[in-house]
Amino acid sequence: MTAATMITAPGSRTSSIVFLATLLLGPIIAVNGLAFIMPVLNLLMLSFRESLGGGGLGDAYTLDNWSSTLVDGFYIELIVQSILTSLMITILTLVASYPIALYLHRAQGRWRTILLVLVISPLLTSAVVRTYGWIAILADDGLINNTLKALGADAMRLLFNKVGVVIGLTEILMPYMILALLAGFGRLDPRVEEAAETLGASPWKVFWRIIVPLTMPGVALGCLLSFVLAVSSFITPKLLGGGRVFLLATEIYDQAIVTLNWPLAATLSMIILVIFGAALVLYSRLLRAVL
Amino acid sequence: MQPGFLSIRSLTKRYETMVAVDDLNLEIAKGELVAFLGPSGCGKSTSLRMIAGLAPATSGTISIGGKDVTQLAPYRRDIGLVFQSYALFPHMSVLKNVMFGLEMRKVPAAEAERRAREAIAMVQLEGREDRRPAQLSGGQQQRVALARALVIQPSILLFDEPLSNLDAKLRDEMRSEIRSIQKRLGITSIFVTHDQVEALSMCDKVAVLNGGRLEQLGTPNDLYERPATAFVASFVGRTNRLSGVAEGDCISVGGKALRAPGASKGKVELMVRPHRMVMTAAGETMPDFGSEPINSIDGEIRDVYYAGDILHYEIDAGGQVMSVERTTSGGETPVSPGSAVNLTWRVADTLVFGAAQ
Amino acid sequence: MDERPVPLTLKILAFVMFVFLLAPVVLVVPISFSADTYMTFPPSGWSMRWYVDLMHNSRMIGALGTSTLLAVIVTVLSMLIALPAAYAIIRMRVIGAEALLALFTAPLLLPTIVLGLAILIVFAGAGLLGTFTGLVIAHLIIVLPYALRVLTTSLAGLPLIVEEAASTLGASPLTVFTRITMPMMMPGIVATAALSFLVSFDEAVISLFLTGPRITTLPVAMYQHVETQADPLVAAISVLLIVLTLAVVMIVDRTAGLTKTFVK
Repeated sequence: MTAATMITAPGSRTSSIVFLATLLLGPIIAVNGLAFIMPVLNLLMLSFRESLGGGGLGDAYTLDNWSSTLVDGFYIELIVQSILTSLMITILTLVASYPIALYLHRAQGRWRTILLVLVISPLLTSAVVRTYGWIAILADDGLINNTLKALGADAMRLLFNKVGVVIGLTEILMPYMILALLAGFGRLDPRVEEAAETLGASPWKVFWRIIVPLTMPGVALGCLLSFVLAVSSFITPKLLGGGRVFLLATEIYDQAIVTLNWPLAATLSMIILVIFGAALVLYSRLLRAVL
Repeated sequence: MQPGFLSIRSLTKRYETMVAVDDLNLEIAKGELVAFLGPSGCGKSTSLRMIAGLAPATSGTISIGGKDVTQLAPYRRDIGLVFQSYALFPHMSVLKNVMFGLEMRKVPAAEAERRAREAIAMVQLEGREDRRPAQLSGGQQQRVALARALVIQPSILLFDEPLSNLDAKLRDEMRSEIRSIQKRLGITSIFVTHDQVEALSMCDKVAVLNGGRLEQLGTPNDLYERPATAFVASFVGRTNRLSGVAEGDCISVGGKALRAPGASKGKVELMVRPHRMVMTAAGETMPDFGSEPINSIDGEIRDVYYAGDILHYEIDAGGQVMSVERTTSGGETPVSPGSAVNLTWRVADTLVFGAAQ
Repeated sequence: MDERPVPLTLKILAFVMFVFLLAPVVLVVPISFSADTYMTFPPSGWSMRWYVDLMHNSRMIGALGTSTLLAVIVTVLSMLIALPAAYAIIRMRVIGAEALLALFTAPLLLPTIVLGLAILIVFAGAGLLGTFTGLVIAHLIIVLPYALRVLTTSLAGLPLIVEEAASTLGASPLTVFTRITMPMMMPGIVATAALSFLVSFDEAVISLFLTGPRITTLPVAMYQHVETQADPLVAAISVLLIVLTLAVVMIVDRTAGLTKTFVK
């Protein structure tokens, strides 16, 4: 019955199975330990070390990084702004993705496949490429502003500020949201909608009373994914924000590469992980509430 | 017991929470076709998988041709296995599928191909050598699976419910085909099935399993006429049951004395095959049993069903329901419900078992 | 199946959102043919000058070479590492297989900025910064979760009974794997290779931490270029990358079914 039975004869099974399994899993355990577990644990420890500036580290362990980060007005503002911006991006992503997901759920056959490929392809295209595309649209000399000028309207500042970051990230996160929504749309049975209609519900009522509640699990998953990715995204805020939009992820990079204050960068990293954990808890609460 | 070509001693398979096969002892002679028959979960498939080496035995031994194979991996056992779901290699042609086992045995390519083509011809699939399994029907796929198992001339051929995915007509065809090929090649074979007709009509011997235990190993005739246990009697063929109390060869059923071969004592169950019971209604002549001792009880017809070739009567005999059949001849009037009838059968056709707890 | 007509409002909304979703990727194509020195849209004229420029840009060409070599090596290594691991997890009853799978896919859940920083600090001490080896190891850690996910799903979907049939016919476990299991897994293996290649080739954040003056990858070089200059050069590279992505997507779609790989 079991897969293991075909590897070796009985009797010699246990010891040789263990040996073989170790051999097969050895490389991945080595890579995982060397480039994931060890660095992450090291990062956690580093958040309790003193920075001597210029990359130097003090010998003693200290809570200073944590306490100063959580007291300093700049960092509190940074954390709050990061969370608020990410929440805003999440909601915009949901609003932009929901019609596409609902349409894809209804569409059929070859057309659906083509549209799905169009949704997935951006996911496989480098974030640098897509961000670059947004610069072309949002720049002072870009598509929107040139169109506005041609229409005789005033140009708007869309790049190197929060507006640009929010627009760009919303688009970048849409494929994730759409896939998550689609995964959660499984419970959406057209017959239930039909049943509601025969009971006298208008299309608008069917949407709010039937479709939206039934798709809540997908919405929750998509929002979790978008929020988490928004908080941790770096390339897009950095390029579209032009160094003028301060978010947790960009600050981590600056502290690590520019200021060379690794303990502070490590502390900020851990704060991101804490925000992740909180989002995950909220998600499971929400999921239990809607199911 | 004479050691057979396939010898199974105290074979046991225990899972964490249950015993799938419990102390199985079985000797199978060379060239025999033996069925493992039983309801689902009786341990027949698990036993087969242990013989094949696909499931390790918890304890006990399996030997083939005098050689203990209990600890051998499946690929060292020299067996052929035909699976219920065919298990063909989807990425290989029919010919490559059949050649695979020969290749593993390092048979030179030219000879392997010749033998594979022979085997494919044997299962009547000439001309389909280059097809992929997905391009064949279920019956054809099972023929490929059969050819693939046969071509390596295994010392034992195992069938794991090979016909249960096929429709009724195809199943009948395959039964006689498998039987004739098996006899021609003389390969010792085990045929796992839950279908008693399949087991009785195809196999030399039938091993009836129930709850992981062997109930009886015997010829189809043994099983039907001389079932060793109440389970075998009721699982193989149909039976009418009567409960009574035995005292020697005299059994009291609802105040009426019946006789049965052999002596027993205490609460017993009598079983009689429905078609061995003769029903006589008022005004009909009793059939002549000659000098044979007979049993007889009275009853009342409760219901009658018309099934084309037979009329099926349900009779209430002192609170115990019997069924009896009469073949139709056309034009007769069925005996109507409520009529008093008499049921008669030979004492020799009476089976006695200790009452189930 | 569902015969319900899609409401017009939904069609229009979905269309508008699709335009929004695809706009940046589509827009780089005309920009790459711009004749302007600076990036403007619409361009004032058309030319191939940025493709010619790209051909002579030794930094970008070097980065392209590095990225390609890196992606190929990472793909091969991830296959060599993930395939045995997938086999052990799915086909052998390893204790705690579920937990192992969770652990091996965990790097996917970590923000790349955090993972990049964590690896930077450890690699700095090990002298792996700005080295090809360092990039290979770092890319493996983000590619392996994808590879393992696709391969375990593919392997778990195979009927075990076919492998059992091969073993009763006399095939040793290794022969069963190479002759039966692997060929049956082919769609999964192709999908894994394609995905591994793209993930490695497109990876920017972790590479940004690990690259230096001596070695750089294409996404990093592009990022640094965009950060300092607003010209259509990156559009030309982007078009090449989009074509590459589409080619890979087609390959996966032909062999494994792209939509099946991402959507149940």
